Amino acid sequence: MRMANGLAASVPDDGADTDRRRIDGAALAQRLLRKYPERVTAQVAIHARAARHAPLPPDLPAAIQRALHARGIFQLYSHQAEAWQAVRRGEDVVVVTPTASGKSLCYLLPVLADAMATRAKSLFLFPTKALAQDQVAELLELNRAGDLGVRAYTFDGDTPGDARQAIRLHGDVVVSNPDMLHQAILPHHTKWAQFFEQLKYVVIDEVHTYRGVFGAHVANLVRRLRRICAFYGARPQFILCSATIGNPAEHASALIESTVHAITDSGAPVGEKHVLLWNPPVINPDLGLRASARSQSNRIARLAIKAGLKTLVFAQSRTMVEVLTKYLKDVFDHDPRKPARVRAYRGGYLPSERRSVEREMRAGHVDGIVATHALELGVDIGALDVVVLNGYPGSIAATWQRFGRAGRRQQASLGVLVASSDPLDQYLVRHPEFFQDAPPEHARIAPDQALILLDHIRCAAFELPFVGSEPFGPIAPAPYLELLAEAGVVHREGERWEWIADSYPANAVSLRSVADGNFVVVDRSEGRQQIIAEVDYSAAALTLYEGAIHMIQSTPYQVERLDWSGRKAFVTRTQVDYYTDAIDYTRLKVLAQFDGAVSGLGHARHGEVHVVRRVAGYKKIRYYTHENIGYGPVNLPDQELHTSALWWQLTQAVLDEAFASRQAALDGFLGAAVALHLVATVAVMADARDLQKAVGSGDGAWFATSDTRGRGSLRAADGSGAAADALAQFMPTVFLYDAYPGGIGLSEPLYQRRDELLLRARELVVGCDCTAGCPACIGPVLAADEASAVTPKQLAQRVLSLLATR
Amino acid sequence: MNASIEQLRRLRAQAGVATLPGATPPAAAASPSMLRSLLQRHRRIDGGPPDRDRALPGVEVAEGLRCLETRLDWLPAPTAIATGFDRHHADSAPIAAQRMLAFDTETTGLAGGSGTRAFMIGAADWHGGGLRIRQLLITTMAAEAAMLDRFAQWCGEHDVLVSYNGKCYDAPLLAARYRLARRANPLAGLMHLDLLHPARRRWRGIYENCRLATIERQVLGVLREDDLPGSEAPAAWLAYLRGGSAANLRRVCTHNATDLSSLMALLLRLAAAA
Repeated sequence: MRMANGLAASVPDDGADTDRRRIDGAALAQRLLRKYPERVTAQVAIHARAARHAPLPPDLPAAIQRALHARGIFQLYSHQAEAWQAVRRGEDVVVVTPTASGKSLCYLLPVLADAMATRAKSLFLFPTKALAQDQVAELLELNRAGDLGVRAYTFDGDTPGDARQAIRLHGDVVVSNPDMLHQAILPHHTKWAQFFEQLKYVVIDEVHTYRGVFGAHVANLVRRLRRICAFYGARPQFILCSATIGNPAEHASALIESTVHAITDSGAPVGEKHVLLWNPPVINPDLGLRASARSQSNRIARLAIKAGLKTLVFAQSRTMVEVLTKYLKDVFDHDPRKPARVRAYRGGYLPSERRSVEREMRAGHVDGIVATHALELGVDIGALDVVVLNGYPGSIAATWQRFGRAGRRQQASLGVLVASSDPLDQYLVRHPEFFQDAPPEHARIAPDQALILLDHIRCAAFELPFVGSEPFGPIAPAPYLELLAEAGVVHREGERWEWIADSYPANAVSLRSVADGNFVVVDRSEGRQQIIAEVDYSAAALTLYEGAIHMIQSTPYQVERLDWSGRKAFVTRTQVDYYTDAIDYTRLKVLAQFDGAVSGLGHARHGEVHVVRRVAGYKKIRYYTHENIGYGPVNLPDQELHTSALWWQLTQAVLDEAFASRQAALDGFLGAAVALHLVATVAVMADARDLQKAVGSGDGAWFATSDTRGRGSLRAADGSGAAADALAQFMPTVFLYDAYPGGIGLSEPLYQRRDELLLRARELVVGCDCTAGCPACIGPVLAADEASAVTPKQLAQRVLSLLATR
Repeated sequence: MNASIEQLRRLRAQAGVATLPGATPPAAAASPSMLRSLLQRHRRIDGGPPDRDRALPGVEVAEGLRCLETRLDWLPAPTAIATGFDRHHADSAPIAAQRMLAFDTETTGLAGGSGTRAFMIGAADWHGGGLRIRQLLITTMAAEAAMLDRFAQWCGEHDVLVSYNGKCYDAPLLAARYRLARRANPLAGLMHLDLLHPARRRWRGIYENCRLATIERQVLGVLREDDLPGSEAPAAWLAYLRGGSAANLRRVCTHNATDLSSLMALLLRLAAAA
């Protein structure tokens, strides 16, 4: 029951920057439509919807009823009543309702009832600290209102040492996060013995965020939690909450590995909301080039902030956050003596910096915030009027969750999705029916990812010895324990595997990544030696190469030295008018085939691949004009990756018959790869960067890249140029692969849906309005190709047809 | 999912993690069953032939559990000990010396949490006119429960615990071990004199630090010969557990016994000065 905030936005008194007339999200939508009718490809209005209620359950203890009355609640929303009944029946439950629909009452009522009746304990897990503190505040208010005598505490990294003992012994409700459970609670479970013995409920909120790698970690954490509970003879009941996704029941049961009752029908009222899909205007009709999404997001955000509307811009990358922040600051923060009206928020900032931005947003001091998905979770930043998405976040569900950030009870809110030139974005704004009608995507996790399992079996062995054939979830942990024994961290004695090392494994395992190899960014300006940021291992090669401009709160730093093995980047403050963008190449080699099938005249296969990614150099791109003003070399070790993939191949004979030249076949494959990657990304709820595409020979001998204009070029294994006609063996292959070591379970379901993907990719290409190919279907093409006898679009279509089964 | 060790190691390296300490890559990737036989071979090579020096003091009182007992006559018991030096027990009446039970553990490390265990528990008390030092040492992990049971028998319900930093370290660690072994914690509820804090109050700034070894040298004039630093105790036990030499583990026994006698001597010194 997060109470929607009814406060009106504070209007900045700086009259020069602000329209005289106060407007709301609906009025801004009208204004944008009047001014730029040709840029809005669709508009969706969500009308206010009235609430559906149910009476307070008769078996709800009288004291809780009184507490609810005191807080002005005399009836429940229908979904709250349904949750009460299901939990009372002893079922594990997932509640799937929109933001601000009162989902916390779904778990608070049973938790409070049992805490009062039998002193049953409950553990609440929220993905962030800020959210946990909000929940405790709310629970305490209800507790006070009814004098319920239930003791609830947050337990996180900020909890002082002397308070921890009291919380362990006396907390009826302990509110924490997965990281604390992982690093502080489970490894010290003996101190929590009384708590675990009486643990009745485990509440996990925001489970839609626990997908991909993080989800796999949390699923393993649940395995560890169940293992510890079993040691203390407890079998807790799970209550999960999720934002709207396509498969809440399936996802919830994958996460906790038991059957879950899903409650999906919200009875909460909905406020008025407007959504615009926005395509930047065409600026070069010959090439089909559009203005950048960035320019449009910047313009919309500027209009919104000037109109006095609290505005949030989501950008897809950290660099884009900094660029957009700079542009908005150039307009709104040109006077350095005044407090900043525009702030940036992204991963890689130090926690203190992020907390300070959150505080200023909540206090209403900030008018515009530019953020990455780091802000997507329930981080409380107060009420907002306008959300601008600079680029499609990669899934329908994530789009609605981000739009859900805007919304006030009293006035209409606005969400604008600005399409980038990314094909996925173009696909979406040009097929708005897809956006309006498509069910939200499915969340997937692969908890048995080998590396993640190894990490958690290591932590589990520390918590309790493995004895005999004890499984870990459904996994037989023996090979993992053997490896740990070989490394000297566990010791096998008869039937038992005992922890033996003098180390605390949970500290070395981060739930937020496959493995912890973060780089720190050290500022050396004027003799300082200060850590100013952290960068994930996977992002380091693309953002911290020597010469890179690394921006923090739109202040540019230049990377002077990268200590790759020491995981450090040394930077200094700089004054430049450009930013940098890495140029990278990918090469694949098939290692093992798990499954294969005939696909049209070719084959579709699924298996394990070796991926080598090389950052070859970088481009310098000038601000505002975005012209390319230079290149720099990068000399970094290749990024290697063993992962799972699916791929399609056509034999040389088929290709020779169907295509006039090898170059034509190659262009066809590159175009087909773009289309297949596009529909595959839509099909699974993947962040686009979690699933990657590549075209190559399949044995690593050569790989193909599109040059800037879409013409395929061959490269030999060492990255040098090669000619298709000179190859003895020419068997191009299109790959879709998981972009994580060991895979994260995307390519296997895609292989199962391979025929559907081909069908959809063909529909996409055939149905596209362009003549020769465009970023929305097969990627950008040369102007010259528009007139050629056989267009790249036809080539891609031919490849897809040859592969199609029918 | 079948994951071979070789695969796992490779994936970790790709994810940016340094290779596991002590891990050497096996000759070839293999199925788990091949791998297992490979590892067996590996282990024999790693461990080398069993060491010939495996002698440990004391007697085996249960499988994998040894008990060492020595008597020191140079430290006679006073009749009663005043506890005024301890802020928590400043007002207690003097306590009969026979109720004092000094204890000290040797553990597999300092990391804390349920993965750290004691492989030795030593205790000292005045018994039969002299100071009795008894030490329990496990030579298998399975013997831990027997060690905990034996130590519980040594703790009387009126005993007063004496330790050096035991309130923060040894006592919570043993509490966790009793909990994991599903046994009642014999230390729970006992009066506990932790000498670290009074020692700090008294000698902080006078000596370079307030570690027990420093205080005993400066205050009690005890000089340890061939002492194994406490930090090397985990490695000494682990080496023995894996079939290595017992030489360092014997030095751990001596080290622990000296800690206990110094603890009692320090108790008398503090009590006398109070």
